[in-house]
Amino acid sequence: MRNKIKVYRAMHDLTQEDLAKKIGVTRQTILAIEKGRYVPSLDLAFRIARHFGVNVEEIFTYGEEPSQSPPA
Amino acid sequence: MKKNTFYLLTGCIAVALLAILWYSVEVYRPPFVEIAFVVAILLVYLARRRVEDLIEDERSIKITEQAMVRTFQVFWVVFAAFSIGAVMQILHVPSFPRFGPPERPPEILPLRSLGYLQLGLLCLMIFLYVGFRIYYARKYGEWETDEE
Repeated sequence: MRNKIKVYRAMHDLTQEDLAKKIGVTRQTILAIEKGRYVPSLDLAFRIARHFGVNVEEIFTYGEEPSQSPPA
Repeated sequence: MKKNTFYLLTGCIAVALLAILWYSVEVYRPPFVEIAFVVAILLVYLARRRVEDLIEDERSIKITEQAMVRTFQVFWVVFAAFSIGAVMQILHVPSFPRFGPPERPPEILPLRSLGYLQLGLLCLMIFLYVGFRIYYARKYGEWETDEE
């Protein structure tokens, strides 16, 4: 599972701590998801996507394909 | 309640439990420490529910769950092996005529040895849980660092 949380964080000027507080998880969880060490539940994935105002597929992609750049 | 207050309270409860254990050994009343242990766990549980700045998210719950499941998977095999040995003692009723010198039934484990055995099992359970917890915490990026 690949994700673009880091990119979307940068776009919204959020630190891991800020995002973690808004989503209701720890900073380590955001870091673990970004680094691919932890695959979030559907509930958490939707919460993250909803926070950035995009579909979940925009942030999370299944498989090993390289991540694409986010829409401008 | 703040997180640090909770840790301080847990430390105080642990010290009180040690004192009760010591007293219980001195007067040889095992129920004292047994009841105190259950009360201590309840107190820690209730105090933990009142902590406001302790975030427990799905990743930390998963780490705890995985560590508990793996501990149980290994522990029950060891525990069952010892238990089968104990069950053998009540099943030792010869059904067929035996030749040679009379066979002595296996001796029942003395109470002191049983205590050491229980201590060993308790230590094994703790070591297994801590070991698996460290393993899964590492696996799910508990100590990962980033540029931030």
